Amino acid sequence: MKKSYLFLLAIIAIFGFSSCDKNLNVIPTQSIEQDASLQTSRDIEAYLIGCYDGIQNSETYAGAFQYTSELLGHTQNGEVRFAGTFANLLELISKTTTTINSTAEVQWLRAYNVINRCNTVIANISKVDEAKRARVEAEALFLRGSLYFDLARLYGKSWGDGDNNANPAVPLILTPTTVISDESSLPRASVGAVYTQAINDLTKASTALPASNSVYATSGAANAMLARLYLQQGDYAKARTAADAVIAGGRYRLVTPFSAAFNTRLYNGGANPAEYIFAVQVNDQDGTSSMNTFFSTAFSAIPGTAGRGDIRILAAHKATYDANDDRGKFFIKPSAASTQEFTNKFIDRFGNVVVARLAEMYLIRAECNFRLNGVVGDTPLNDINRLRTRANATPLTEAQLTLDAILKERRTELAFEGFRLHDIKRTRGNVGALPWNDNKLVLPVPQREIDVNKKLSQNPGY
Amino acid sequence: MKRIITIFSVLLCTLSFSFAQRIVKGSVKDANGDILIGANILVKGTTIGAISDLDGNYELSVPANATTLVASYTGYNSKEIELGTSDMIDIVLAAGQLLDEIVVVGYGTQIKSRLTGNIASIKTEEIEGMPLVSVDQAIQGKAAGVFVNAGSGKLGQAVTVRVRGNSSISANSQPLYVIDGVPVTTGDFGNYGGETNTLADINYNDVESIQVLKDASAGAIYGARAANGVVLITTKRGKAGKTSINFNLQTGNSEATKRVGFLNASEFESFYRYAAGAADRIDGVDPKDPGSSTSTLFGSGGILDYYSYGTYGTANAVDNDWQEGVFRSAPQMQGDLQISGGSDKTKYFISGQFLDVEGTIIGNSLKRVTGRINLDHQANDWLSFGVQMSLGRTDNIRLPDDNAFSNPLQSVALTPFTPFTDPETGLPAGTPPGDVNIPLYYNPVISLNYGKFKAISNRTLANVYGQVDFTKNLKFRTEFGSDVLNQNEEGYFGSQTVRNQTRAARGIGSNFGTFVTNYNTNNYLAYNKTSGAHTFDATLGMGYQQSQTLTNYIEAFGFASDSYKKLASAATKSDGSSTETNFRFVSYFTRANYSFKDRYLLGVSARIDGSSRFGTNSRYGQFPAVSAGWVVSEEGFMKKIPALSFLKIRGSYGLTGNSEVGNFPQLGLAQGDAGYVGVPGQRPAQLANPDLKWETTTQADIGIDFGLLKNRISGELDYYDKVTTDLLLEVNVPGTSGFTRQFRNVGKLTNKGFEVVINTNNLVGDFKWNTSLNWATNQNKVVDIQGQVIEGGIRNMNRVAEGQPIGVFFTREYAGVDPANGNALFYKNTKSSDGTLSRETVTNNAYNSTERVVVGNPNPKFIGGITNTFSYKGVDLSIFLNGVYGNDINFYGVGQYSSANGIYEDNQTKDQLNAWRPDNTNTNVPEARFYIANGSQPSSRYILDGSYLRLRNVSLGYNLPKSLLRQMRLEKGRVYVSGTNLATWTKYAGWDPEVNSDTFTSNFAQGNDFYTPPTPRTILFGINVGL
Repeated sequence: MKKSYLFLLAIIAIFGFSSCDKNLNVIPTQSIEQDASLQTSRDIEAYLIGCYDGIQNSETYAGAFQYTSELLGHTQNGEVRFAGTFANLLELISKTTTTINSTAEVQWLRAYNVINRCNTVIANISKVDEAKRARVEAEALFLRGSLYFDLARLYGKSWGDGDNNANPAVPLILTPTTVISDESSLPRASVGAVYTQAINDLTKASTALPASNSVYATSGAANAMLARLYLQQGDYAKARTAADAVIAGGRYRLVTPFSAAFNTRLYNGGANPAEYIFAVQVNDQDGTSSMNTFFSTAFSAIPGTAGRGDIRILAAHKATYDANDDRGKFFIKPSAASTQEFTNKFIDRFGNVVVARLAEMYLIRAECNFRLNGVVGDTPLNDINRLRTRANATPLTEAQLTLDAILKERRTELAFEGFRLHDIKRTRGNVGALPWNDNKLVLPVPQREIDVNKKLSQNPGY
Repeated sequence: MKRIITIFSVLLCTLSFSFAQRIVKGSVKDANGDILIGANILVKGTTIGAISDLDGNYELSVPANATTLVASYTGYNSKEIELGTSDMIDIVLAAGQLLDEIVVVGYGTQIKSRLTGNIASIKTEEIEGMPLVSVDQAIQGKAAGVFVNAGSGKLGQAVTVRVRGNSSISANSQPLYVIDGVPVTTGDFGNYGGETNTLADINYNDVESIQVLKDASAGAIYGARAANGVVLITTKRGKAGKTSINFNLQTGNSEATKRVGFLNASEFESFYRYAAGAADRIDGVDPKDPGSSTSTLFGSGGILDYYSYGTYGTANAVDNDWQEGVFRSAPQMQGDLQISGGSDKTKYFISGQFLDVEGTIIGNSLKRVTGRINLDHQANDWLSFGVQMSLGRTDNIRLPDDNAFSNPLQSVALTPFTPFTDPETGLPAGTPPGDVNIPLYYNPVISLNYGKFKAISNRTLANVYGQVDFTKNLKFRTEFGSDVLNQNEEGYFGSQTVRNQTRAARGIGSNFGTFVTNYNTNNYLAYNKTSGAHTFDATLGMGYQQSQTLTNYIEAFGFASDSYKKLASAATKSDGSSTETNFRFVSYFTRANYSFKDRYLLGVSARIDGSSRFGTNSRYGQFPAVSAGWVVSEEGFMKKIPALSFLKIRGSYGLTGNSEVGNFPQLGLAQGDAGYVGVPGQRPAQLANPDLKWETTTQADIGIDFGLLKNRISGELDYYDKVTTDLLLEVNVPGTSGFTRQFRNVGKLTNKGFEVVINTNNLVGDFKWNTSLNWATNQNKVVDIQGQVIEGGIRNMNRVAEGQPIGVFFTREYAGVDPANGNALFYKNTKSSDGTLSRETVTNNAYNSTERVVVGNPNPKFIGGITNTFSYKGVDLSIFLNGVYGNDINFYGVGQYSSANGIYEDNQTKDQLNAWRPDNTNTNVPEARFYIANGSQPSSRYILDGSYLRLRNVSLGYNLPKSLLRQMRLEKGRVYVSGTNLATWTKYAGWDPEVNSDTFTSNFAQGNDFYTPPTPRTILFGINVGL
């Protein structure tokens, strides 16, 4: 008798566990399911912060975009020497970039990773509280537009090098990815199309963003990026308008001395100087300045400095500065006897990485006014001399003010901040013996992307 | 009515017991006339019994109506003895037949002769006395087709085990470990150095037997987790009879198995003088020029002057062998106490172990204390229950990973001119306040002197069961088990280690907590019935497992002094984290075996597995298997061949799965780690794949089991063919999606091979000699990975490529040295239009123009082991060799610095003395050139043959004669000496061919050496006393 009950119990024990099925739906709590992460306004705002976190990675605006421009724009042992062991960087400066170059690969991957974050915010913008909605969307648009602009000019031919609407740049992806399908393999959009997208994003951002927004994107930041983009296109009128809007907004001012514009943690308590329009924030817990990593080294006399000491400044570079110009003295050696010299701009291990500062806006307005023979905002001479005076350099006279002088001022002021390659391209200059439109001055589409996406074409020369 | 009769007859019997009894006595001996102590003698059909005593005698009150006695003894065939009129009955028991042994299978046991699957069995007595820390090492060389690689001599680290080849690329290929029915927690939970081994928490002396389920028919009952093989570990149980108390103590010493020859001071000097001179010649620099390579190295204020504290070129110059500074003679001690016994109703096994092992490399040690109790109780004729419980604590002081400057073995790269101690401070070179930039690289001794990383794990394995026998044929068993792993890891690195730990300027510490709770229940019905010539058994049941892993972590720096080592004293708490992950399995399983006349055998089994790891669209998988066997030797026509005592032909076919891909691989996930300077943020972290499911391995196996000459020769031959499809492959996706990889079920690979097991009793009688041999081949081939480029290992030299074995070495092909100038040469291997490869050679400057080709294979072609045991009277000797043949090892981890033609200042291996010189042009070693790459690029030059034959263990024991034991009132007395890894025959030039660097190894990237400490050679003395 007893046994028959037990038998029944045994059967229940074996088959009654079908209720276990629901136990197989384990809810993850460390990483959470995507749906659960997209519920409230706060959720979407957290995704927006995630976008900034994405560019804080050293692979985009925290250094890689800038040093790629500098390394591609310089020649080895010309004005600088790359003395590091990273083959990917050595390839850039020696113009022997391969399709598996890891800089070319990680910049691409990281940029699209952040674009996907931005797209997530934009696609879910209706969940954001109405009071914040426009701003949140505009911040994501600012970052997406900026990234597409920089991708287009690194991986596509220069603006105006042939047909902008035929030259391939990068694929345009404007919605968040939830599944991988055949549609995930997109061909490269044209240089023209990517620039247009960037202009649309940045323009929308410039009108919707507030003038002041903590360390996040502002209307000034969007206008600064637009000014830079139009300048790259040679659209001097629009570039001037955007730059003038930043200056006229009165939010930013040149800091004195020149050195106060750099090394924010060492000399400004970690805050952006008044000159910064937009900068990637770094502190001792979060973020890495790869400008510091590669352009600097540890100086025993200055605690808080670090770096691999890879990119060294040579005499040929120092010779390009005028006498008395503070900017020509803004270099540093580990010791007096050392033969190694570094730029002083990035010695701060935890310094914020500047993306746009006011000096660039004066330079853009000056150049555009000069080229268009106009005086929007102020005269080119005044704008240029503002920067020279700040650096204790002799002001230029009206007679000395030429386009070459303005472009030289730009090189002097913005040295090593990521402008070199793009300025050479837009002014149709040379990198050593290579003309501005040489294939070697365009990054290859990463081999891993070509391998997984058959619709991607490779750049000529690779 | 029937019941009343039963009661009546029981009463009657009881009455008759009390009135009519007689005393029967006698002795119990084996066929050789040796007495058997503790044999069980029972009146058949009753619980009346006795145990043979120390002299092998028994005495028993036998009811008058009893007709038969049953005598039994472990390892012997039970025997029934008819009771005659005599009251003196001497019993002789015959040793059990090999093929009748009982084999543990999933959810039950089976008689080996009726087995239709392939299962390798290892009795732990075969490996007694070997200095093994973890039970997985016990399989090495003992089971056909199971490849085991300890990886290194670091204590408590992961061991690579591959059952019948590697059947996965991105998922884990380690087998499933099941201890007493509970799938235990395995894997890496370490936060420092290489992967840890949770099996090291378990006392392997508690293990009675290990069975490795290799084919589909044996494994399918473990379904989605059986594709890599299943290792069933059964712990010891008590036996009815006299209480047995056994104490074993063994102690000994270990040494690293090998030193690699490095240049001494004078060799170093002459080698580098040449290398610097060659560099100056090429650079067109006068060696006397202060900027020349020669002056940089040898001049005043030069490299050697600096790194020798100015002693280079003086009378105080030293000649240090840094290797001697990191190896040591390491003592170890192990004590075991085992108590077992019980009555017919209650049986127990109680054990405790203390293990204290020092590593052969400085700074490494492992201490373990474990205790176990296994209890079985027969409550009545239908209910039994029991418990197995083990507790253990392991203290492991760990070494950094191979690729850390603080890896002690990396100090072989230091110059022999650098003194061990700073002459100013008397402290090890590089210790503050001395110059921290001496020696050339960080001195690892500093991390050992002023830092420590210790992992303490507490492990509880507990398992209860209840069993109901409904009828003689039908029983129900329910099991509930838990495996709880609590681990605390604590690291502290003092201010002196700042050159290695840049943030340790005022000391840095970290603390990790890991809590793994794993519950499991099995409930199943088992039926068996023998009716005439038909034997049938069946099992039907379910299992449920849930596992949760919680971790937390804190890091802090800034200590008032180096005496404070706990984070409570740290000024800055710099980092912290907590994590959780879970997985669950729901399973239903069934098995049926049928045999007719013990001659025709048929088996079917199946399992349905559901797992939280898989997509909602494919949550449950089905894993069926069939098998059949034909015992040919039972056929009448075969009985005419007297030499053939046993012959069985068997075959099996079925499906198993692999689901070891971590948790939640199928879900679309967001992660909250995307904060921005203090403001919290989140990001998309993983794409969903609701179709994700297990890898499926389809395996066919055919084999024969045979016994010749009354089973004095017996063995097994097998051929298997495994095809794994729907690989759980981490595939690259377009980066423009915002993601780079995703787990998908794509691809296919195969493993096939032969296995041979032969056991022979070469000599019987007083002098016994047994041989046990196993040998297996495996051929692995990646059939389809949909064009993915999958690379890993040192400098990504391991590659998964279609048409090749998994993880082949894929790099440039070295073509030797140009005798005219000492340049390294490489084959171009570019493909010409007719498809052939160009055998043109180029030198260093055109290295990039050469194509990579497959130059080696880390997977062995065959593996094997042979054990010879001899015994004569009380002396026994066992000699165990194992070998691996046909695998290659990538020595580039070491070679790129230390066998690199003097490209850097690193000390070089002695073979570099044979470098090209104008007077030594016929050589394979290019000219030494300081800071100029000449053959030191990745190439086949560094892919070396890793085959080896190893004298794994020799143990010699002496059992005290029984007469002496009786005087000493002991049951057992044995002394033994055991030597492990006494000799290795190999062509491999590195430390140890049994290597898998803990830094560059992945599931497919095997066979990498990166200054990896070698396995130890150990000599142990032991004494074993039984009461």
